[in-house]
Amino acid sequence: MKVVEFVFSPFLAFIIGVFFLGLFRKIVARIHQRYGPPIIQPLLDVIKLFHQKGFSHGVLFDLGLILSLAGSIVVILFLPFAGICPLKSSGGLLVILYMMLFLPLGIALSGGEGANPNISIGISRKLILSLGYEVPFLLIIISVMNFYKTISIVDIVNSQGGFRWALFSPLFFSGIAYFMILPAMLGIRPFDIVSAPQEISSGPQVEYGGKYLGLSHIQHAFSIFITIALFVNLFLGGGENIFFFFLKMLVVFVSMVLIHSVFPRLRLEQALRYLWRWPTIFAFLGVIVSQIMR
Amino acid sequence: MDRKSVIKWIKEPGKMGHKYSLWAVYFCTGCGIIEIPPVITSRWDAERFGVIPVATPRQANLFMITGYVSLKTLKAIIRTYEQMPEPKYTVAFGSCPINGGMYWDSYNTIKHIDKYIPIDGWIAGCMPRPEAIFIAVTKLWMMIDKGAATGYIRYRKNYKFYRRNQEKLFGELAWPPLYPIDEKEDESE
Repeated sequence: MKVVEFVFSPFLAFIIGVFFLGLFRKIVARIHQRYGPPIIQPLLDVIKLFHQKGFSHGVLFDLGLILSLAGSIVVILFLPFAGICPLKSSGGLLVILYMMLFLPLGIALSGGEGANPNISIGISRKLILSLGYEVPFLLIIISVMNFYKTISIVDIVNSQGGFRWALFSPLFFSGIAYFMILPAMLGIRPFDIVSAPQEISSGPQVEYGGKYLGLSHIQHAFSIFITIALFVNLFLGGGENIFFFFLKMLVVFVSMVLIHSVFPRLRLEQALRYLWRWPTIFAFLGVIVSQIMR
Repeated sequence: MDRKSVIKWIKEPGKMGHKYSLWAVYFCTGCGIIEIPPVITSRWDAERFGVIPVATPRQANLFMITGYVSLKTLKAIIRTYEQMPEPKYTVAFGSCPINGGMYWDSYNTIKHIDKYIPIDGWIAGCMPRPEAIFIAVTKLWMMIDKGAATGYIRYRKNYKFYRRNQEKLFGELAWPPLYPIDEKEDESE
């Protein structure tokens, strides 16, 4: 049974992530008053990319991407998904916090081998942006761990059972702060400075082609799943079954897409100024309030 | 529209993938590019055909040559084409790449683009309407289905011919050959 969970959990994450990518393009198209691509278009793209010839630029070019992909799969194994959590006993929020660093780091390692100036600009933007959202993110995680007095994410989900969601508890401000940094973590507008196709030719993905781009798309789908599932687990009380969990993820994701489709792109220093001001203030407030009202 | 036929997907996933996800490289040559923004945005939505513009040639598999090609542009076109991963498809848009169009007597414009890179399909007109791009895309689907869109195979096979034509135009080329050229055969001719 345990072995099935180990296979099932990343597979489910892949399905949901790819579905979200398709939904993303469809909703944006409908907001533009277009018909939009079919909802399975990202899957078709990935199939095509794996049948295309790719160019490698060195050993690290391959390994960095695989490191990033492996890191995201490990994070998924630690994330509870409506009761399915393959690595339940041995982990916690701290492991997720560490392993989530692998996602940008692997891309950075891989891109560094590509030796394209656009890649260097994209990677430096990515690392500075992650510096921006890691500060409020750490404060949020600290407030959650402090409020529930545990580092086990399964326990946090269990103690939110029966509509005692963390979002409607003293952790309210932390939830708001997480919601405010979600676009930056997903890399969508107004924070798509990393992969700005019009400025730096899609940033770290410039030299990816063929199966490299396919793997990078899969990694993107996984990272969307991880970021939103973590929000649902920490603040929206997980889910009783797969359907409710998926419904909560869908609501969060669609609101993110709506934000994406109306805002323009920020510059890097504007993004950093925003991330270190408003979400950080809210996260800090969350730490204090949850400490007082515990 | 057999995008949903499962049997074809199981039989030839690669071919079906190439058909329904054509990614065009952002490369603007000449005045024909003015027809592309309406094609990819709200008025004529190219994304419903799976056609989206991507920022780099590494990610693309569809190359549209829109409008006249000057000597300097041809150099960039060849380099862009050689950077694209196989399989790749080229569509020449407008009458200028076909025979020079209104620049038929210009000293600086390429008259027959298919002497320098292989072309899979042509769209005639000056300018063609945006609908012509969709007709071209559906035609390209049919060609891929029949295995007739073989521009990249022709380029590999006859690389010596294309390279010789390019060198005739530019003199010494600044980049090494994409495929190995057998010099011995050259002498025997």
